[in-house]
Amino acid sequence: MMKKSWRTGALAVGAVGALALSSCGFSGGSGDSNTSSAAEDGASSGAAAENVSLNMLVPTYSDTKTSVDGVGTKARWEKVVADFQAKNPNIKITLQVESWENLETVLKTKIQGDQAPDIYNGGAISGFVADDLLAKADEITSPETLANFQDTFNDNEKVGGTQYGLPLLASDRALFYNKTLLKEAGISEVPKTWDELLSAAKAIKEKTGNPGYGMPLGSEEAQAEAMLWSLGAGGNFGNESEITIDTPQNLEAFNEMKTFIDAGVTQSNPGSTQRTPMMSGFVQGKMGFVYALPPTVAQIKKENPDLDYGIAQPATKDGSAVTLGVADRLASFSKDQAKKDAVKKFMDYFFSDDVYVPFIKGESFLPTTKTGAEAMSSDETLKPFLDLLPNAKFYPTTNPAWAATDGALKSLTGGIEKNPAEDVLKQIQAKADAAS
Amino acid sequence: MAFLTVEDQATKGRVIGRMVIGLIIALVFLIPYVVMFLGSVKTKEEILSYDSQFLPRDGWQWQNYTEMWSTPETPLPFNMISTIVISVAATLLVLLVAMPAAYYTARFRFPGRMAFMALVILTQMLQPAILATGLFKQMLFFGITDTWLAMILINAAFNLAFATWMMHSFFAAVPKEVDEAAQLDGAGKFRTLFKVNLPLVWPGIVTAVIFTFVSAWNEFAASLVILSTAENQPLSVALTKFIGQYATSWQFVFAVSIVSIIPVVILFFFIEKRLIGGLTAGSVK
Amino acid sequence: MTITPAPAPGKVPKRRRALNGEGFMQALPWLAPAIVLILVVVVFPAGYMIFNSLRKISQSGLDKGWAVPGKKDPDWGIFSNFAHIFSDPNLPRILWNSLVWVVVVVAFTVLISLVLAQFLSKPFPGRRIVRMAVVIPWAASVVMTTTVFYYSLDPNYGPFNLLLERLGLVGSEGIGFTKDPALALGAAMVVAVFVSLPFTIYTLLAGVQSVPADTIEAAKMDGAGKLRTYFSVVLPQLRGSLAVAVLINIINVFNNLPILKVMTGDLPGYESDTLMTYIFKVMQDDQRIDWASALSVLNFAIVAVIVLIYVRIVKPLKEV
Repeated sequence: MMKKSWRTGALAVGAVGALALSSCGFSGGSGDSNTSSAAEDGASSGAAAENVSLNMLVPTYSDTKTSVDGVGTKARWEKVVADFQAKNPNIKITLQVESWENLETVLKTKIQGDQAPDIYNGGAISGFVADDLLAKADEITSPETLANFQDTFNDNEKVGGTQYGLPLLASDRALFYNKTLLKEAGISEVPKTWDELLSAAKAIKEKTGNPGYGMPLGSEEAQAEAMLWSLGAGGNFGNESEITIDTPQNLEAFNEMKTFIDAGVTQSNPGSTQRTPMMSGFVQGKMGFVYALPPTVAQIKKENPDLDYGIAQPATKDGSAVTLGVADRLASFSKDQAKKDAVKKFMDYFFSDDVYVPFIKGESFLPTTKTGAEAMSSDETLKPFLDLLPNAKFYPTTNPAWAATDGALKSLTGGIEKNPAEDVLKQIQAKADAAS
Repeated sequence: MAFLTVEDQATKGRVIGRMVIGLIIALVFLIPYVVMFLGSVKTKEEILSYDSQFLPRDGWQWQNYTEMWSTPETPLPFNMISTIVISVAATLLVLLVAMPAAYYTARFRFPGRMAFMALVILTQMLQPAILATGLFKQMLFFGITDTWLAMILINAAFNLAFATWMMHSFFAAVPKEVDEAAQLDGAGKFRTLFKVNLPLVWPGIVTAVIFTFVSAWNEFAASLVILSTAENQPLSVALTKFIGQYATSWQFVFAVSIVSIIPVVILFFFIEKRLIGGLTAGSVK
Repeated sequence: MTITPAPAPGKVPKRRRALNGEGFMQALPWLAPAIVLILVVVVFPAGYMIFNSLRKISQSGLDKGWAVPGKKDPDWGIFSNFAHIFSDPNLPRILWNSLVWVVVVVAFTVLISLVLAQFLSKPFPGRRIVRMAVVIPWAASVVMTTTVFYYSLDPNYGPFNLLLERLGLVGSEGIGFTKDPALALGAAMVVAVFVSLPFTIYTLLAGVQSVPADTIEAAKMDGAGKLRTYFSVVLPQLRGSLAVAVLINIINVFNNLPILKVMTGDLPGYESDTLMTYIFKVMQDDQRIDWASALSVLNFAIVAVIVLIYVRIVKPLKEV
């Protein structure tokens, strides 16, 4: 009897205690949202008395084990933030790092709750511009910093002539080839055209048994593979005002991909192959050709330094040099002036060479600033990519319909393995049209 | 413990047969976690190696289990504490809330009884992943985003259904005479519930406890958006911090997964006896 | 220490009442905690989902007023998001997939669980260890269990393909289990059954344990065979827990996202999608929160109808 009533009581006390305890949690950045918007006057002059709290949401590029310098994205940002706060004691930045897969879910939830971050690192932002959510680039950087970005990257951030995003880091794609397999297959010339690539891939498949060409059309990054082939046929996916997927050039490109698939020179199931696992196949020397980007160089250095490989320009229909460039950006959802000014201080600090160049190097990406590019021009591993950069074309990220088009490319492109290219292009175009 | 009981006069051969079948069943259920464990003691490169072996080829990487606690990617000790606090509190809250309701609805007929049970089961039909934004807005309104309390309430609310329905079915199976006898002795309803019924429905309570605890333990969708401070996030969210844009530290993902299984198994270890307890309790009176 | 209920309006008299036939107000103190919790946590987000399904929502997630019909969709006024989803050519296939998915997974789960629960209620040395092993898929997160299956089935580095290769069943190129719609859906079903088993087994085991030993003994004394004892004595006793287990399984399997998302996530198109994964794709790929909300409402309505039919037929609440 006694025992049982003790148990009942303990249950109740325990629950109440847990509830009391749990109302706190570990102290975090919550409560920052009520930073007074009364800071509007006098904030511009950087009066040290005004305390400002900023929220920052960024994705993970690499971690301790996968980055070239063993630091990892989160620790890298933490250091930048800590150093910045030491210099600007009145600004407090709360950093949140999420995986790419979860980034947009978290961001959209925050937007709907009116808690959008003051500093955001991500992909396409045209949708946010369309909803008038973003601060303009000149509100969150000094003219000097803004002018230091390379013009192509700045242009790529402009929606309707106004710039919102600040290009954070860039990459372009190049054709990686396995020299050992090429030699085994008796290929001496690195292919420049589709036909050369096809026959080289065939030779590798026949003579070494390894896939000649790795074609990842799974949902992870099908849009990149598709865009590279489209560019190779002289096509593109549109511009700021229209999305053009169902075009003769893209049809030619998709049909060429089908030719590769039907010739059996790719890995099996290209339509559902994800990029990351496939790339580890190339790194292990199990594949003739793949399109890859600067971080792949770092990955090879870390995981299989013995791999004998080369880097060349992407193969195109007629052999002309063109490649896909991708730039990720920083943007700000700040509304009030005090926050914008604080963000400006942060951006000017971050994009200074002393801070920016080590950051980019650590993540193995290409710099977007002019002085950063100069500082890194001597970097041997990045040279092939820097050389290709002038020929880089970008996704039409400034088109508000791009996000949905990107989604459609991811989920539908792989369909060409089994379905006619015409049908697949039509489906993707329909999705793009529905979004614009 | 006696294995050969009166109700089952098993021969020696039959017992051995059961042990063999039991072993096979255990293996089938364990295999994926053996794979997970072996992955957790391999290097990142080996996990994705085309020349893979079953056992670690480059040596057993036990340091994965020590390193993972102090990576800059996520404060794992804190994630562990958060997960435990949220799950334990949510489970207690569910018991506290569901038990009286389950008992009462199983024992008494009253207007609105079916409506109440329907309302409860409705909560089970909603997918938290879809409701995440709504939940975020609501917790913002209460001013408790990024707190354990928010996740305790959410986990408790969305797991209420199973606990209520499960315990309801167990209370309903207890003969009414038991209650009537107790009430004749002058026991109030609460006393009848706790002193008389409770010992008879332990298996149901245990099942409800495990169910609630496990789903709170592994909840992801709501935690992801409601808890923003890395220290407050549960293990399920912490796991994703090892997933990079172009490379993932699978060894840590696997190691954290293995470690996150252990507390649940420990809970189960201590609570499982109650399931067996039901065997004798059921035959009392 | 005694806990006293909050005084109910009307004050419950001390004298003994009939066990049946109480008023709602007397029931309220017992139900209030549950009702409050549901009102506080669940009602708003559920209402918000329904509200969103009638609104136009921008891709950033901002509310842009009442829903407007899409270019090619019929005009259903504020129900235009529903007009879109009902004219979606993918919908029939997806509903069919969802149905097959639920029926197959729940049926296999229940059948296997009945057998295993019966087995695990028998005494044998090491039973405790087997029971502990069975609980592990439940303890592990579904996402991670699925990820391990996905990893094991990979044609290039998956241990399962390696095993097949060692046994000489496949060549070194392996089988792309997760690369073909039929195989991937089948593999996803295996995983779904696998992760649903522990919960179902334990629910049933709890029921089996509550079957009084003397009842079984009595049946045996009467000369009933093993199977007959099971079907005439044990199974009826399991009715309560079985009914609840099936109900929860139907709902959870229907609403399952992670298993299919991982196992069929590599596949292009919508051939192997269920309603739940399709909602996810509409939300993430098409960036249409409004359409996804409409689909979610549809999803909820379908589950509710299934549950209603189930409750009508099985009557898990028949007792009292």
